[in-house]
Amino acid sequence: MQDALIRKLESFEELTEADRKALSALTLRIRRVPARTDLISEGDPPNSVHLILDGYACRYKVLPDGQRQIMAYLVPGDFCDLNVFILDQMDHNIGTITACQVVDIPRQAIVEITNDHPRVTQALMWCALVDEAVLREWLVNVGGRPANLRIAHLICELLLRLEAVGRVTGNSFSFPFTQIDIADTMGLSNVHVHRTLRDLRALGLIALKRRTLTILDVTRLKALCGYNPNYLHLKNTRWGVRRNIPWPSTGRRSS
Amino acid sequence: MMKPPHNVETLVVLQPIGVDTDSDDRQGLLVMANGLLVGVLVRLDTPGHEQLRGWFLEAGFGRLAGLRAPTFDTPEAAARWLRQRLKR
Repeated sequence: MQDALIRKLESFEELTEADRKALSALTLRIRRVPARTDLISEGDPPNSVHLILDGYACRYKVLPDGQRQIMAYLVPGDFCDLNVFILDQMDHNIGTITACQVVDIPRQAIVEITNDHPRVTQALMWCALVDEAVLREWLVNVGGRPANLRIAHLICELLLRLEAVGRVTGNSFSFPFTQIDIADTMGLSNVHVHRTLRDLRALGLIALKRRTLTILDVTRLKALCGYNPNYLHLKNTRWGVRRNIPWPSTGRRSS
Repeated sequence: MMKPPHNVETLVVLQPIGVDTDSDDRQGLLVMANGLLVGVLVRLDTPGHEQLRGWFLEAGFGRLAGLRAPTFDTPEAAARWLRQRLKR
């Protein structure tokens, strides 16, 4: 389980044995959190950094009329709030979707490891930058793509992010989100989410059984939403070198 | 067009219409308020909706635009709810 973090960071930066040892020391005390539980709420002082080792969580806000907006999905290896501890209060909530294994890393431990391990610092900065890039892409997704392509895009992204931390088997991965979760993420009604998922199934692109999603045709699903994984910045990584990313290259490389 | 004064009850009329939602949900109702189209309701007939049945506000116009409404058991319940929204 502890591997998720090291595995993710190593996909950004080559780590030494000492780096890996220091990272392992961060994740000694693992807390089990039930599904649908807040790890930290809006207004709370962020005293530690939460790291998800297993399970899925999300970052969300609730509007005055009760409408929830999910701004991020957090999967194994993701820090919920890497730099938030610098601020004095949370401006959003972080809650689990499934039961999770969570590590609470005191801010002092983060300060120490970043002082002593430059490669870890670099990798953590990379993580934070990629989180921002994902947020930008989600903004594009919600503002610029029609309902069916938004959801197709999300599924493509989850495939890559989960694959990077070893949570994909034969293009299948855990998909515990309810239609309401997806609706609140994509700015859609749950009716539209249901229709879209049904549509993607009817097109033979995905199968969804007992909260496990299988992408039946990765190439076609990617082509449908014009998926470009550049924002995950996995290409120039060890992970990218070792693995042959099955997407046809786009943008500058194709010209 | 001038809005009716607040003490006059909004007259909501439902008018059957087929709707292409690119799904099995086809049976629809135009929602007319004081003679103007304010929304389109659609009956949810696609199998497997999670906890969803009844009537759904497929589209809203004017004050109902972009509104995420709940689903309703009957068109009359939807009309009552929409009339409340139009009053505000």
